[in-house]
Amino acid sequence: MSVTKYLFFNFIRVKGYSTALIILLFASLLSLHVGEIFLKNHQENIRKSALAQQETINRYVKYENKEMGLLLYYLKFGLVNEVPPLAALSIGQRDINPSLLSVNIRNLEEQKYNTELHNPAFQLLGNMDFSFVLIYLFPLVIIAFCFNVISEEKESGIWKLICNQSKKPYRLVLQKLGIRFVVMLTLLLMILGIAQIYLQIPFTASWILFCIVSILYVLFWFTLSAWIITFKKNSNQNALILLAIWIILAVILPATANAIVTKSYPTNEAFEALIESRDGYHRKWDLEKEPTIEKFKKHYPQLSEFQHPKDKDFSWLWYFAMQQMGDDEAQKSVSQFKEKLQQRIAMSNNIGYFFPTVHTQLLFNSLSQSDLTNQLEFWEAIEHFHEQKRLYFYPKIFNESIVLQENWYGHQMQYFSARSNINWMSSILPLFSLILFFCILVFLKLRKAFNI
Amino acid sequence: MSIKYSLIIAIQVVQSFFSSRNIITLFAFFNFFLFLILWVGEQQRQNYQKVTDHYSQEIRQRWEANPDKHPHRMAHYGYVAFKNPFALSFFDFGLDAYTGKSIFLEAHKQNTVNFSEAGHSSSLIRFGQISVAMILQLLTPLFLFFLGYDLIAKEREQGILKLIFTQGISWKTLIMGKTLGLFISGLFILLPTSLIGLVLLFFNDVNNDVFLRYLLTIGSYATYFYIISLIAVLVSAQSRTAKTSLLKLLGCWILFMLILPRLAQVIGQNAIPSPSKIEFDSAVTADLIQQGDSHNPNDPHFKALKDSILKVYKVESTKKLPFNYAGLVMKEGEKLSAVTYKKHNNMLIQKYTDQQNFLKFTAFLNPYIAIKNISMALTATDFYSFIDFQNQAEKFRYQLAQNLNELQIKYISNEVKNSADKKAKLSHKVWLKIPDFKHSFASVKSAISSEIISFLALFFWGMILFVPIQNANKWFNKL
Repeated sequence: MSVTKYLFFNFIRVKGYSTALIILLFASLLSLHVGEIFLKNHQENIRKSALAQQETINRYVKYENKEMGLLLYYLKFGLVNEVPPLAALSIGQRDINPSLLSVNIRNLEEQKYNTELHNPAFQLLGNMDFSFVLIYLFPLVIIAFCFNVISEEKESGIWKLICNQSKKPYRLVLQKLGIRFVVMLTLLLMILGIAQIYLQIPFTASWILFCIVSILYVLFWFTLSAWIITFKKNSNQNALILLAIWIILAVILPATANAIVTKSYPTNEAFEALIESRDGYHRKWDLEKEPTIEKFKKHYPQLSEFQHPKDKDFSWLWYFAMQQMGDDEAQKSVSQFKEKLQQRIAMSNNIGYFFPTVHTQLLFNSLSQSDLTNQLEFWEAIEHFHEQKRLYFYPKIFNESIVLQENWYGHQMQYFSARSNINWMSSILPLFSLILFFCILVFLKLRKAFNI
Repeated sequence: MSIKYSLIIAIQVVQSFFSSRNIITLFAFFNFFLFLILWVGEQQRQNYQKVTDHYSQEIRQRWEANPDKHPHRMAHYGYVAFKNPFALSFFDFGLDAYTGKSIFLEAHKQNTVNFSEAGHSSSLIRFGQISVAMILQLLTPLFLFFLGYDLIAKEREQGILKLIFTQGISWKTLIMGKTLGLFISGLFILLPTSLIGLVLLFFNDVNNDVFLRYLLTIGSYATYFYIISLIAVLVSAQSRTAKTSLLKLLGCWILFMLILPRLAQVIGQNAIPSPSKIEFDSAVTADLIQQGDSHNPNDPHFKALKDSILKVYKVESTKKLPFNYAGLVMKEGEKLSAVTYKKHNNMLIQKYTDQQNFLKFTAFLNPYIAIKNISMALTATDFYSFIDFQNQAEKFRYQLAQNLNELQIKYISNEVKNSADKKAKLSHKVWLKIPDFKHSFASVKSAISSEIISFLALFFWGMILFVPIQNANKWFNKL
């Protein structure tokens, strides 16, 4: 025990190590602050949008109150893709995909893909959220802690002494590594604890899994580093090898994987859908009204009682039937497009099983509902929301209901909260098996070296 | 300082690298990797161009295939503008994945540029995209640090440094020589791929402006490599042992490439907040209502317009006017809304530019940011190239809408009730006369002027590093 204590103080007294720990702590706290600002901005955005929606409705109801149809040409209704507090730790794609969409009841395809306003230069640089600190910076500090655990003793000539004096010299190495791991683990748990309080993260299965995966990720880098240093290269070589591995795992492989995923599943269907929905609607102005209205009634049998007045050039029934065709005729491309995105997600996840950096990032974003899967779910939610609005207003428009009789205060912004999808096995197993793999390698290496 | 001795030292450095089989392997690996990425990048660019061409043509064909129609129906049918990839985007992908690819252009409304690659990607994309620029900006410096960390520190460790100085070689000569050697070695990574890129440009038959941009890009990377080499040698000169030199350089790399850019992002975004979509839209709407709400029958602006026109033409109803009154109101409305939108959009771009400038100024602390911005600007994958596209699209949209409004004013009778009326149609031949949207790129001059700060920062780095060389005798230990 006293050896452990000695080794601990020996470790913590090195100026570089304590500096690295302080920098890491500072970066982590800063990342939590970044997350908090992100959550606040989102809340602020919701508040302003809710207000704007009410104001717009009031203004239009004041001026355009003669026809329900014309009013609903203009009115927009918002749906919020709720951001869980956990997203503050892993902002993911939430800074690219909007977390709030306002749509009118016309053609949805023209509105579904609208974007938020962002400075693309900042998107390129990426967010300094906690997932960044953990995935990129933690390994670097772990490497700095581990790369010379054996080589330092060798280079200072102490290693031979240890080997002569102790029957189990590898124990010293394991003890030194153990101390470093405990220090890192303490720091990590401390930061996670602060995060939970500071960001008010609810105690859910997602959060527990997030913490477990964080710990496993740190442990992975320790076992990997331990394996590399048992080759007993000199300090410089160890540092370079570990850094090269870090670059391959954190930069080159993910970027290559991304290029492969993008190339394997091009998303041209998005353009197809855009063109089809545009023509699907606008071309109907040039065609006979009856077929369009027939198609509309086939889509909505419950609305078949409404008729287009024979002597009129225009009716709202015809107008919204045309708009509906914009969505209906793009349906095939839209589902192909979504299919492509699903394939991209599946391929990314499969690649992730082999690379802890990718796996951890994808998992974090999935747990914090800031990934592409969440975006797809939000699109589904928007489609449902839009359909509900249509079904509610279509009869009122075609009946020519009186605008001022409608309770417009009832049309507040609505919220969509994605279900959390947790798969413990596929989340933990890839990291766990790699850790086990490296533990075995370290054991074999030590057994060979010391004839255990 | 002796140039001759510097050259001798430089040649020695290069020779020592290329006598090691491991290092030759690494050079070969780097070059092979770069060739591969260049090829992939070019494939990607060609593919993107093909998709853009295909859908642009499709949009045009469908536009021309429209039958006789009311012009305002065509204004709503609208157009879709596609952003072209630039000829040099095989080299640096820049912001292309984050900015949208297409924008729907219609009357009365400025839509967002949609369908960015990043929006269609899993979180993988945030690890970065692998391009020649990325390898040159991010990984080559690390390689140069790895080659250069012991250039002087090792000689100090081995006691050779003393001997060198006793031979009458000055610090300046030594540092310049070692730097030059490291820099020349770096060119073995930069130049082969650059030459292949140049050949590619010949095959792609690009104009002189593109060549000039490309040569400037390569020149900027060479300058960047020179700065990196100088940093490596200076740190090596300052360090007591090769090990500390390596650790310091690795620290520099992590700071420059990893921490400072994200830190700059955090500070920039919070120090200069930009509006969200809802804030932007609300501000535009508020302004529009103030100027004149064409939906409000009692709106003073449009009422005054109506009254003055009725007076000039001496009629009591707009129906008796010799031209289409609804078209005139739309023309006026379009003008007002376009000006207002432009005002707010310019304010937004100014905000982004302020944020951008903040980032650019961090280049004085971080040469990586300088080369990143210069490279994006010269390969037209930067923010300003995107804004340029957006402006071209908006200009086209406005002209399209006003063209069609003019047609309505001239040719559509006041008697028709609405655009569905059979009497309210123009011949489909008119649509052929409306020009097609063509996305063009700004000249190299505007690219340089938009990144003047970054060029200055790169120049600054080249200069400031001479301070330690000048003071080498005072600052560095000769032992």
